[in-house]
Amino acid sequence: MAMHATERSDAMPYLGYGLGLRVEHYETLLAQPTGIEWLEIVSENYMVHGGLPLVWLERFRERFPLVMHGVSMSIGSTDPLDDDYLARLAALARRIEPAWVSDHLCWTGVQGVNLHDLMPLPYTEEALDHVVARVKQVQDRLKRRILLENVSSYVSFADSQLTEWEFLAAVAERADCLILLDINNVHVSAMNHGFSALDYLHGIPVSRVQQFHLAGYEQGERLIIDTHDAPVSNAVWDLYIKAVRRFGRVSTMIERDDHFPPLSELIAELEHARSLAKPLLRDAA
Amino acid sequence: MTSLQAIQQQMLQAVLAENAHIPSIIRDNGIADARSRLEIYRHGYRIRLRDALKTEFTGLGSMAGRRFKTMLDKYIGAHPSEHYNIRWYGAGLAAFLDYAHPWRDQPQLADMARLDWAISVAFDAADETGASVADLSAVPPDAWPALQFSLQRNLHVLDCRCNADAFRRAADHGKPRPRLRRFALARQIMVWRKDTTVHYRRLDEDEWQVLGAAIRGESFTTLCACLAGYHDEATAMPRMVALLQGWLAAGLIRGWTIAEA
Repeated sequence: MAMHATERSDAMPYLGYGLGLRVEHYETLLAQPTGIEWLEIVSENYMVHGGLPLVWLERFRERFPLVMHGVSMSIGSTDPLDDDYLARLAALARRIEPAWVSDHLCWTGVQGVNLHDLMPLPYTEEALDHVVARVKQVQDRLKRRILLENVSSYVSFADSQLTEWEFLAAVAERADCLILLDINNVHVSAMNHGFSALDYLHGIPVSRVQQFHLAGYEQGERLIIDTHDAPVSNAVWDLYIKAVRRFGRVSTMIERDDHFPPLSELIAELEHARSLAKPLLRDAA
Repeated sequence: MTSLQAIQQQMLQAVLAENAHIPSIIRDNGIADARSRLEIYRHGYRIRLRDALKTEFTGLGSMAGRRFKTMLDKYIGAHPSEHYNIRWYGAGLAAFLDYAHPWRDQPQLADMARLDWAISVAFDAADETGASVADLSAVPPDAWPALQFSLQRNLHVLDCRCNADAFRRAADHGKPRPRLRRFALARQIMVWRKDTTVHYRRLDEDEWQVLGAAIRGESFTTLCACLAGYHDEATAMPRMVALLQGWLAAGLIRGWTIAEA
């Protein structure tokens, strides 16, 4: 029998302002106070048997609240859920007791082949039923609610019947999961597909949003490429302000995946996020 | 309406295919056409796999030089990724180089790939605790002949027909690549991890004979006999002591059992 959220002891805390943990910043993060309040790890990097990754992870666990963010659950794939993957994910969650576990609303492979990319779904009733059933399956397995993140996308499908935000909201409501709202991804997809980022924000139920991601992108010739390798753009900061107005106090982090600057630059970006949100949250209080 | 499964299968084929076919399931709009939209996924797939391989196969990159990119692209074209973690994508590269033209004619490349991969696997393999000299000293003298060592499960010994270890070492330290040396007979390189550091080194012939016997679970008496072909009576025992001390210091010996007479 499926568990309901009320049966789970998984009330999630507000963590403040955090950073995606990356090898490039390991030493610096432990060497000095940073103003970073929590860290998000890429789950797969620590779903290993032993060695240095787990040694580092224990060090960070002593100093920071951690959350787990996966890239391989492939919740939308029509292949069966990967039992080995879920077992390792559950084992890591038991080991580090993260504040929450997240992955992406996407599929990463099918027919046993992995594309290692966050492939968009067609937003159809069939896909909705499929994803909702699988989220419930995962939540029962992990014995906790998960967060699903909206992905950046470059294609959309002729058969889609719902908007992306209608689909995401419906998944969250029907599967009783939470949302990791990547503000950058909303902007990227809005520009690439020609929808309104504000419509997107207004279509997402406030009570479901547990975390924000902020990141940078690359402007291509016609499309915006979600590289997560650049500073947060002005357009995304603007959208972040609108998101804080709508969703209020939400744990927020900078996610940088490449072209790593000195940690101080990311801390400065995080401080900027704080300074933008602070007056809005004070007004709301 | 196209089913979810059919949409995913069509997208998969469109990303993997050497020549892009644009599935009609993709919506076109005035911002960009379907081809350029799809191309982002096609390009990204190949870049990600290539980058993952470059990270794991630094010795091979050094040895292959300008041929490296072509080699990786051929592997990517021939081997779709099957593991959820991209870090495991390189597991089949050495075997690919064994049979794929033109690299099969240069066996040093497959050997190099095997060394790189063994190093990669050892990095986050299960933790092992090595025994100490004091532990071994506590074994009663009359038990020694029947002693059988248990070695670290993360120890890998590779047959190598070239100086692959020198290429890897140069890559690890950002040094220029060394001159390639081919060996008429394969020599052995062992790879293991002590605590959090991965080590690799070439084995002398006598050490390989003894280590190979230890891996097979032979008794200490048999291990000593392995040295007979290389040392006289005066030097064999000091050599055995030196080997055991080296293995203990390297954390290679997990423990031992004493075989029943």
